[in-house]
Amino acid sequence: MSLKNILENWSHYRRAHEDGGHHEYEHMWGMAIDLNKCTGCNACSVACYAENNLPTVGKDRMRKGQGLHWLRMERYWDEPDLGGDEKEYQERGGSFLPMMCQQCNAATCEPVCPVAATYHTPDGLNAQVYNRCIGSRYCSNNCPYRLRYFNFYSYYEESWPEPLNMQLNPDLSVRDKGVMEKCTFCIQRIRTGKDAAQREGREVKDGDVVTACAQTCPTEAIVFGDLLDKDAQVTKLWKAQEVELGKTKQDKSNGELRGYRVLEGLNTDPCVMYMDRVREA
Amino acid sequence: MSGSDINRRDFLKFMGLGGVGAATLSGCDMPTTITLEEGKEKVVAYLAPEEYAIPGIGVTFASTCQQCPSGCGVHGRVREGRVLKLEGNPEALNGKGLCQMGQASLQGHYNPDRITQPMARKGGALMPVSWEDAWLLMKEKASGTAQGRSAWFTGTVSGHQSVLLAALNKAWGSKDHYVYEAINNAVGSAVNEAVLGDATPVYRFDKAKAVLSFGADFLGTWVSPVHFSREYGKFRSGDRGVLIQVEPKMTLTGGNADLWVAARPGTEGAVALGIANVLLSENQVDGKQLPQAALDVISQYSVSKVAEISGVPGDTLVRIAGYLKERSPSLVLSGESAHGHTNGYQNAMAAMMLNVLLGNIGQTIEASNSMVFDELKAKQGNSKAMLDFAAAAGAGEYDVVFFMGANPVYTAPAHLAMADKIAKVPFKVALSMFPDETTMSADLVLPLSSPYEEWATSVSPYQPKDAAISMSQPLMKPLSVETRSLGDILLSMLKYQGVKDYETFEDYYAYLRSALDSLPASVKAGKDSDAFWSAAVQKGFIKAPSKPGSLKVSLGELDQGGYQTNGDYPMNLVPSSNQSMYDGRNANLPWLQEAPDQITKIFWDSWVEVHPKTASKLGIKEGDFIRIESDQGVIETQAYIYKGVHVDTVAIPMGRGHEEYGRYAKGNGVNPLKILSPVVDEKSGELATHATRVRISKVGRSEELPRLGGSEVQVGRRLVSTVSADVFRRTEGA
Repeated sequence: MSLKNILENWSHYRRAHEDGGHHEYEHMWGMAIDLNKCTGCNACSVACYAENNLPTVGKDRMRKGQGLHWLRMERYWDEPDLGGDEKEYQERGGSFLPMMCQQCNAATCEPVCPVAATYHTPDGLNAQVYNRCIGSRYCSNNCPYRLRYFNFYSYYEESWPEPLNMQLNPDLSVRDKGVMEKCTFCIQRIRTGKDAAQREGREVKDGDVVTACAQTCPTEAIVFGDLLDKDAQVTKLWKAQEVELGKTKQDKSNGELRGYRVLEGLNTDPCVMYMDRVREA
Repeated sequence: MSGSDINRRDFLKFMGLGGVGAATLSGCDMPTTITLEEGKEKVVAYLAPEEYAIPGIGVTFASTCQQCPSGCGVHGRVREGRVLKLEGNPEALNGKGLCQMGQASLQGHYNPDRITQPMARKGGALMPVSWEDAWLLMKEKASGTAQGRSAWFTGTVSGHQSVLLAALNKAWGSKDHYVYEAINNAVGSAVNEAVLGDATPVYRFDKAKAVLSFGADFLGTWVSPVHFSREYGKFRSGDRGVLIQVEPKMTLTGGNADLWVAARPGTEGAVALGIANVLLSENQVDGKQLPQAALDVISQYSVSKVAEISGVPGDTLVRIAGYLKERSPSLVLSGESAHGHTNGYQNAMAAMMLNVLLGNIGQTIEASNSMVFDELKAKQGNSKAMLDFAAAAGAGEYDVVFFMGANPVYTAPAHLAMADKIAKVPFKVALSMFPDETTMSADLVLPLSSPYEEWATSVSPYQPKDAAISMSQPLMKPLSVETRSLGDILLSMLKYQGVKDYETFEDYYAYLRSALDSLPASVKAGKDSDAFWSAAVQKGFIKAPSKPGSLKVSLGELDQGGYQTNGDYPMNLVPSSNQSMYDGRNANLPWLQEAPDQITKIFWDSWVEVHPKTASKLGIKEGDFIRIESDQGVIETQAYIYKGVHVDTVAIPMGRGHEEYGRYAKGNGVNPLKILSPVVDEKSGELATHATRVRISKVGRSEELPRLGGSEVQVGRRLVSTVSADVFRRTEGA
């Protein structure tokens, strides 16, 4: 792909994901997160630590930004900036945003991997093959959401002193240094759900697979499911909010609908839809 | 698979199958999806993207979370004989989801610093001993104790353990059982009892159209946060309710409020009276629900006067009153930042007055369905118990004290000199999982099993709909053979005392089986002993008959004390409780240490919250070390500057600053409870935790705050998008 080609066909490349790509998708796992219900309590994040063998890295490494929180609860204050001359207090509280890998269908992390360790699966997932990864960190550099995490050290050596290691989930591996990792939409749970359905000789149905974050959420703000399944709750939510995959710009019949995808203007085509937080005034 | 057409790939697959299958089968005989016999499953090839996903089937068992007194029902996922993950029990009456403390309770169970065998003090140090020696020591030092010279000091207890404890105390001639919780709703319960005749009524967030909360952090630490969070989800759906939070420091609930109001600590009652004044004088709310004495007091609290006392602008009071008038029924709550003052009881009473005035009693506050089995109900903790115990122990009233589920040496303010007073007790026994401060000051330490290794029953202090007895069952074999459940230790002690009723039970399991057998036939619904037991264990709880309650209304005195100022100590100290470290019990869980605080996003350390105005006046920048000094002592920690704390207030979270308690907790952060002044709420006798005055100054040292994220604002990007409630009600309203 020459520079000339890129420049000449820029508008085509910008919107290439609208063509649908090259996949015959079996599933399209997606989420809908209602920020009107999310309280920022962080239960999802700790549930993710428990489910996905995430190591704790300690104060100094966390401060350097080396924490491996696949699901990170962000909190923003209203602008103007702190100490501004407007209101004396944060009258409208905070704004909470649970951020996990957005499983983009036009993922910016995928094309830059020199060894194809990150690629798209027939489930619509952005997968990371640990034993292909050589740790170039290009993917992390290219992720606009900063949701890829690098193992700078062999955290397993210190993170699970006995018997803490007995809690480790045998459904997935513990990662070693030099490897990139990120949210997988609990791929081990997806695999378990698919196997169970196959054993029973049926299709995977809504509710067979629930991610750890969605399962623990005390306010039921997170809904997970297959966007190709017309009857799935998540599909209904996307439809009700008139948010569609594979579209650069959503044409909504009602401009007041709450559904949006974070930084969707970058054309990453994420599979996570958020619904606006609501404030009284 | 015939030998002729086998290729390298198939051979590898085959080896993979055999290897995994054999390993799993020999581990235990749980079902697994990968077996040679079935052979139907997809084999996950080595280089396929999901190669790390080795599917196995977990088995789920019900139990009860004990990480805070709420007692939510949980499901534990067990594989290969280990509990791996907890989820909320979807059928539980008080839960469904699970908070981060519940999730992290697994790290308590698997904690590397757990006590694994009995220890006794020998030559000043705690040394490992056998259970035989431990019992001999108990016999020598404890069993001959004179009547009334022994006491128990515990956290919240309920269920059949509570029955055994009562029986044991009776056998010993001791009636002193101090039940202590640093985070409690004791003042609120006292007011509920006085006004409504029901200490723990049911709060219907789902029916409320507006919630006004004076410091009740119902999404974080107040009463039953997971259950309330679920109800909050309903409250925010459809005709979306309005949440107004009045408090000196932003709690998790405050962070979700539509209107967050900073009132001077201790003036919450005055704010409530000011709102009532507006409702009566400007919003045409009929005052006939209130007694004349109350109306007289309210008439003295004009908007301008309240604005002056509380620092809350008059137009904010009018706005709050407007919401309450418009959106009926409403619900008014009060929590620890309103209760922890010398006038805490009056603050709670004023909040309750608003419920009466607005006609919420019977609407959003309903009578509790009180369980008929009184002996099983939760003995709820308060802080007066600790003050009483300190006085009694200091006066040398006890020869033997048993500690369990509470850590007073850590949570007691320095002025109580708790460690010195406990040292005066000749023989101190700690029943504990961890080497916390209180345990390490004991003479004999008995190692407890974790809540996921033992049989137990419990009854949640807050029963939302039906009354229920929660079941705890072992989710796995104990990690250490030397640990014992509380029930088993109590039963052994009862046998030791020769109490006849208990001699026949081999262990606590046998006792529980028999106790459940003796429940009335109506509870067992015609099931035989085994079927009833299995159903209870499978479901995780037993629905119990309850007495239908009723609410009366008799409002108490409303008059508020004036706001005290103190020139030497110009600031108020808020020792805030967070759904993370809680009262300090969670400081040994690395997941929670690494989980950023919900509001400030700080991890692994303490901080002090300072308002930007105060900071600029004193030249404080984020990350500066600040010296916080009360009349009882000094602590130093780093400043976090934001507009979620009252201008005259600094807030320091509880829970860190341990001197013991294992590798993750020890020497990490500071403990604000230590510098609390010796003041109590005058009516209830509860420790006035929020009434301490401090002065602050710069230490002259600075360091980058351990805080998640760079930008505190969205800098114009649509990360968290916002719409107005009007739009929401138009598009998604019921």
